[in-house]
Amino acid sequence: MIPEAGTHLPEEQQQMMRRATRLEWISIGYAACTITAVALVVGNSQAMRTAWIDDMLSVLPQVAFLLSGIYVRRSRRPTHPYGYHRTMSAGHLVAGVALLSVGAVLVYESVSALIKAEHPTIGTMNIAGHTIWQGWLMIAVMAVFAVPAVILGRLKIKAAKPLHNKLLYADASMAKADWQTNVASIVGVGGIGFGLWWLDSVAALVISAGIIQDGWKNTRSATVDLLDRRATSYDGKDPHPLIPRLEGQLKSFGWIKDCGIRARELGQVMHLEAFIVPISVDLSMAQIHEVKAALEDTDWKAYDVVVTPVLELPDFFSQPREVVK
Amino acid sequence: MSPSNSRGGTALISLSLIVVLAGCSQAIPVDPEGTLNTVRNGTLRIGLSPHDSFVEIKGSSYQGSEVELAKDFAQSLGATPEFIVGGEESLVKKLEEDQIDLVVGGISSKTPWSKKVGRTRPYTQAIDEKGKKEKLVLLVPPGENAFLGELEYFLDQTQEMP
Repeated sequence: MIPEAGTHLPEEQQQMMRRATRLEWISIGYAACTITAVALVVGNSQAMRTAWIDDMLSVLPQVAFLLSGIYVRRSRRPTHPYGYHRTMSAGHLVAGVALLSVGAVLVYESVSALIKAEHPTIGTMNIAGHTIWQGWLMIAVMAVFAVPAVILGRLKIKAAKPLHNKLLYADASMAKADWQTNVASIVGVGGIGFGLWWLDSVAALVISAGIIQDGWKNTRSATVDLLDRRATSYDGKDPHPLIPRLEGQLKSFGWIKDCGIRARELGQVMHLEAFIVPISVDLSMAQIHEVKAALEDTDWKAYDVVVTPVLELPDFFSQPREVVK
Repeated sequence: MSPSNSRGGTALISLSLIVVLAGCSQAIPVDPEGTLNTVRNGTLRIGLSPHDSFVEIKGSSYQGSEVELAKDFAQSLGATPEFIVGGEESLVKKLEEDQIDLVVGGISSKTPWSKKVGRTRPYTQAIDEKGKKEKLVLLVPPGENAFLGELEYFLDQTQEMP
């Protein structure tokens, strides 16, 4: 019968999910280290401050993933007939909006620092009797912490693809691009070192623009899913390759004249409605059940399948199928 | 795997760049307005804000521990000290407008002026009016990092530095 939520993932995906959860915990621990290390040297550089806030924000999607990971396992119940899969999308949306708003504040800060021509002051630190310019320490910290984030990001992308998890994918792409933030802050601090005070604000502007871009991508993708847009693949390919595959399968039934699949995303899985137009009007329960079973067996993502026999396909199927982006 | 290789290459290049840059660290940071170069063997314009035993104005003579400190710093740069007396706010404004190079006057490390201008690391401790310990700093023009570095080096060499 229909598997209970939480047990619907095949063994491989369940393993992947555990792996992803572990990776996200490691990411949070790593972020905590970065945030602490940067806090020790952050100083007056706008670029460093922005990169620091960026580090803090990077935890948001990870927390969202772990929190929704608890909820998506819950079973369906009369009050929640679709299950709790959408918590992933909700978490995705919250993380996206947070990134957008903080990014906007940071853009404002760096632009106003540029306009006011604020010259960032970075003093020295006394380390074992040596007076060392703090900028060197900032650059060193940023260089050291650039690499592991990229590796974590790559590992997470590998987990996100088979899981069809957009929140994880977005988080992983952000982590993969995180080294650019570090390079930008190094450029900003280096600029201060060479007496180019404006380079610091410009670097901060670049970093905050990156945050806004991440925020926009996340917000958009989450909103679109919550609007029940036709299902797309984790990297936005439209339609999701599973849809034509399932339609092809329907067409292979000799007694189906015409068919269309309406698919929307419930987090990692899909809610599918198969509209079928039979050649003859008398259709048996066995035939319908056969179609449903065939669709559910094709892919674990085809989680909630409803088969609807119709006399003719609903008109939205006759609109141009390929959406021009 | 070539993207990861090229990224590793980038990391290597940036690391070696850092090492090279660290080699010429004497020249970095640079003052955007060139304060240190102007002051060295020239004139150090010192803003004095009267404050207890740190800065005392008696007629035309200036006394106090921080007045002496500022004089010593000027000497270390081969510069002639020039004193400008005023309230903290007006002196901070002069710092921002590059009319003076240094402000002394028993300023604590929690001073709100550090949003507008630069300040040194605390160089000593004192007891304030309420009997609480406070750390003392000096104010410098914003973003003149070579000058600030030189001053902090001087403080490191001569003061207790809490």
